[in-house]
Amino acid sequence: MTGRSTGGVQSPTDSFFADLATRRHEPLLKSASGSVQFDLVDGERLEHWCVTMDKGDVAVSHKNAKADAIVRLDKATFDGMASGRVNAIAATLRGELVPEGDLGLVLLFQRLFPAPEGADGAADLVARRAR
Amino acid sequence: MSADLVQILDGNTFVVSDARGDIEASLTDPTGLFSFDTRFLSKWVLKIADERLSPLSVDNLQYFEARFFLIRGTGTVYVDAKLSVIRQRAVGDGFLEQLTVLNHDDKAVDVAVRLDADSDFADLFEVKDALEKKGIRKNRVEDGRLVLGYERGPFVRETWISATEPAAIDERGLSFALTLEPHGEWKTDVNVVTALSATGERHDRPKYGSSNREPRPSMARDLDSWLAEAPRLNCDWEPLTEAYRRSLVDLAALRFTTRTMPGHALPAAGLPWFMTLFGRDSIFTSLQALPFAPELAATTLRALGERQGSRVDDFRDEDPGKILHEMRYGEMTAFEERPHSPYYGSSDATALFVVLLDEYERWTGDRALVRELEFEARAALNWIDEYGDLQGNGYVSYKRRNEETGLENQCWKDSWDSISYRNGALPGFPRATCELQGYSYDAKMRGARLAREVWRDGAFADRLEKEAAAFKRRFNRDFWVDDGGYFAVALDADGQKVDSLTSNNGHLLWSGIVDKSKAKSVVRHLVGPALYSGWGIRTLAEGEGRYNPIGYHVGTIWPFDNSFIAWGLRRYGYKAEAAKVAAGILDAAQFFDGRLPEAFGGYPRTLTKHPVQYPTACSPQAWSTGTPLLLLRTMLGLEPVGDQIAVDPALPRSIGRLELLDIPGRWGRVDALGRGRIKT
Repeated sequence: MTGRSTGGVQSPTDSFFADLATRRHEPLLKSASGSVQFDLVDGERLEHWCVTMDKGDVAVSHKNAKADAIVRLDKATFDGMASGRVNAIAATLRGELVPEGDLGLVLLFQRLFPAPEGADGAADLVARRAR
Repeated sequence: MSADLVQILDGNTFVVSDARGDIEASLTDPTGLFSFDTRFLSKWVLKIADERLSPLSVDNLQYFEARFFLIRGTGTVYVDAKLSVIRQRAVGDGFLEQLTVLNHDDKAVDVAVRLDADSDFADLFEVKDALEKKGIRKNRVEDGRLVLGYERGPFVRETWISATEPAAIDERGLSFALTLEPHGEWKTDVNVVTALSATGERHDRPKYGSSNREPRPSMARDLDSWLAEAPRLNCDWEPLTEAYRRSLVDLAALRFTTRTMPGHALPAAGLPWFMTLFGRDSIFTSLQALPFAPELAATTLRALGERQGSRVDDFRDEDPGKILHEMRYGEMTAFEERPHSPYYGSSDATALFVVLLDEYERWTGDRALVRELEFEARAALNWIDEYGDLQGNGYVSYKRRNEETGLENQCWKDSWDSISYRNGALPGFPRATCELQGYSYDAKMRGARLAREVWRDGAFADRLEKEAAAFKRRFNRDFWVDDGGYFAVALDADGQKVDSLTSNNGHLLWSGIVDKSKAKSVVRHLVGPALYSGWGIRTLAEGEGRYNPIGYHVGTIWPFDNSFIAWGLRRYGYKAEAAKVAAGILDAAQFFDGRLPEAFGGYPRTLTKHPVQYPTACSPQAWSTGTPLLLLRTMLGLEPVGDQIAVDPALPRSIGRLELLDIPGRWGRVDALGRGRIKT
């Protein structure tokens, strides 16, 4: 599971990207090639996170270069997605994030966000199988 | 829905109005301008001198364009035949309405024209349930246009209305004061724009707008080239030619483009209320259309692959590897009052995704796509065992986790009473319906071929084939109803057979899971009097506890179901029986002007001289539209064999001579010919 808050000073966003950076290879992104930049609005501050994807290889940086897709949103919303509280696609429909450019890349990227907290489908499954 | 409503559409933007072109939304007549599952106009009423007009006639020019001829007065009494009005409307990012007022008198006349406009911005889900809006509606006049607006936090939707001729604009509509010379005319273009919608894109004019008027709108050119790309059909039997052309035009109308793949279309499920991406419907329709428009399959596979489930989410019934059921874009989906962002409550789409990928490659030879979707196809195959098998008994079954807004029945027969025992009792959940097992078996066999030939993973291929063979043996033992000689429709939660006789047996033939030794008995049932009505194969056999010839999945005949059964009959070598099924359905199509409905009554053909249509709101329905296409394939016996196409015609005698020319595929383009010899 990715991006779980470690508590303390690190925001869910920071731990999400930190975790992604250490992985280097992510099978869920095997079909993705290109870069997505997240412009996170945090009060007066604007934070850039850029993820480069190449058939499953990923690199994370803060650079503000020309990306294939750019997504602008509040950092609080990203914190929510990174911790499983906010569903990225529903948030897009609500207008909380505005993606531009190669939207297919954004769609593939959102696979990385964790399951909602308290989703017990798997546990349920095990329980049913154990019957 | 009233029969005289007029629908035009472009993708998922559509207008439903009355025969005057007016929109006055009510619960019984869900009219309006809709886009991305939101209503952008709920009121659009044309008046002259404060009076409504009467329709003389409506021309449905194309599926995206209509023209209304109107006259003053109501009913049969015309107050004034010296004035007439033409409204011509083309849809796309809203619509363009070209309004013409004609004076037929030899005197000049002053005319007050009024267009009343408003919008409730209802979500499609709200239209039928009449739910209260949670946000704020506010209309305003700004920059020479009327803006209808709706806001709920960051969720903003706007409709912009403007005219090319001078108008007095207020928050309720547009007024035009004009003087018409003797035999004079007046024209204006009115632009109604879905300015802010779910896509985040902004539009400031309709797609087919007045500022870039062309001799032919691009959509008409597009339809022409779509028809020109498809194989040509020559046939002695006129009704088939008509049904074929109807199918191609309707399929063009049903094309839907997602934002991630602009310029590429996939088949949506139905027009107009189901103009969105569906797993099951888009896959079945793509399969039917493969020999005719293979690019639909490619787009469907990519779009579903991109949105494949990646986590366990109970609200959306999502699991890793699962293929979605339905995507929606409206307010209730956005605020998670409905789970369609997307919703994954379908237990067949995941296996069918692999089936389509393999069948697509067999026809087109497009191995690049098979490589591109390797991860998704493997994840889908993994889902079957890892998540689809809810009970750990080796069979795929379903039980929703979203108990509030999720779907109870996650197979194609998705109504509450579709799965029953012979005595009519309903099983509990989970339910392992038989066709799910067939699809899973087929997915493994086809996945094995892809693994061996494209992904170069022989070990994985061997494993899948071994599993599939063992699975087939168990299935033929566990689902077989001994005293009936057919397969049970499902296993219930206790592993007991749900023993009614259903059309699902035909899908099992299509999937190849039926033991050769059992096929004969299954086929005898499919074309026997309990299932076969003379028009087609019933969903549930006559004589079963719940049988009802006009029950949605308990006795009606579904053309799409029959087309896959015909394919299954061919797979097992029952050519004459396949021809018989095709002949019945195509005979029925004649009674619907070549446009097969979603379902029709299961009454015996000897009882009703025509097939009785089941009333549904959606027409055309994509997989009914695809039915004549798949029946053409099964009648001609078209089958890719290596880089060639095999043709093995078995046509009903009534059809006479049949030629299908320029069938596209890995062989380039080839022709197939046949002559009707089978008495049906």
